[in-house]
Amino acid sequence: MIEDALLVKELVKAAAVLGAGICMGFGAIGPGIGEGFAAGKACEGVAREPENANLITRTMLIGQAVSESTGIYSLVIALLMLFVI
Amino acid sequence: MHISKKQKYILAGIILVEIIIGIFFIKIDMSAIAEPPAKLKHIFGFAIPMNGINISTILNTWLIMVVLILSSWKITRHLTPVPSRLQVIAEQYVSAFDKLCEEVLGSGKGRKYMPMVSTLFIFILVANSIGAIPSFWHIFSGFPSWLKFDEPTKDLNTTLGFGLLCFLVAHISGIYYKGFKKYLSEYFEPMIEIGRLRIPNLFMGMLNIVGEFGKTISHSFRLFGNMLGSAIIILVISNLTKYIVMPVFLNAFFGLFIGAIQAFVFAMLALVYVSVMINE
Repeated sequence: MIEDALLVKELVKAAAVLGAGICMGFGAIGPGIGEGFAAGKACEGVAREPENANLITRTMLIGQAVSESTGIYSLVIALLMLFVI
Repeated sequence: MHISKKQKYILAGIILVEIIIGIFFIKIDMSAIAEPPAKLKHIFGFAIPMNGINISTILNTWLIMVVLILSSWKITRHLTPVPSRLQVIAEQYVSAFDKLCEEVLGSGKGRKYMPMVSTLFIFILVANSIGAIPSFWHIFSGFPSWLKFDEPTKDLNTTLGFGLLCFLVAHISGIYYKGFKKYLSEYFEPMIEIGRLRIPNLFMGMLNIVGEFGKTISHSFRLFGNMLGSAIIILVISNLTKYIVMPVFLNAFFGLFIGAIQAFVFAMLALVYVSVMINE
């Protein structure tokens, strides 16, 4: 009986660690693509209008930060799974 | 840049000493990642509610506050027409943020929010980069874990406090500039129109109210997640390389560069949330 409980605990821990890895891996895909896309478009914008470079960079940073938040959520979930469970 | 032979020898010597110290003296302590922060649970015999306070966050927050207040006090005491170096920095900082706020919020309104935004920026900037200062905790195992320079923004309590501050400021200034009725009616748009009757759209209202809380949560979790992730990466890679050479570059990238970007993003988003609320 006690051995079963220990086994279940170990299994839950293993599943949590695996889940943290998968969560971080998949969660990093979206923000990576999105931020790269935003940076590329900002590069085009700067190349077209170099005088607006400051405004474009600022807007790009804010947009990237907003689109990064899903990646941050997955990081927080992964940390929860690693350290809390 | 030309490096002379003597300088090369000095550099090689420093790296050699670092490697020797790293291999023989530095403790390898990966468990610092998982260990919960030191907490003060009792003060003068009274129990502190909500499971205690986080000592390192409180100490570092007060340290940064003292440093910022004293330095700004020192800089602004003797203002001269021909500015000193520090005065030039302070003037540039203030005028840059003044311009930014006036651009986003419109002239007149911008100057009211400039102190909040610029203070948020400089506090978070210093708080994010304070982890780059080395302390004895990294070398000797006897020191308590709270006696080190630790980013206060690594703690969710700090960032959630800032997020709630921005939330309150944005909504109160929205009510102040637009009036309570108009402020409330914006949640329920577009209205359902039947003839001349305009019924508030409850579905959109629910979505907007949840969205407002989501804004605050993502605003604070963004800073928290970035700084916690950076701190963990710095700790893991520093431990793997036994604190040889790598921590300098890791701290420069994650602490100073990412920290500066996140501080700027936090301040700008606070500004944008205010501007969304007060503009028609």
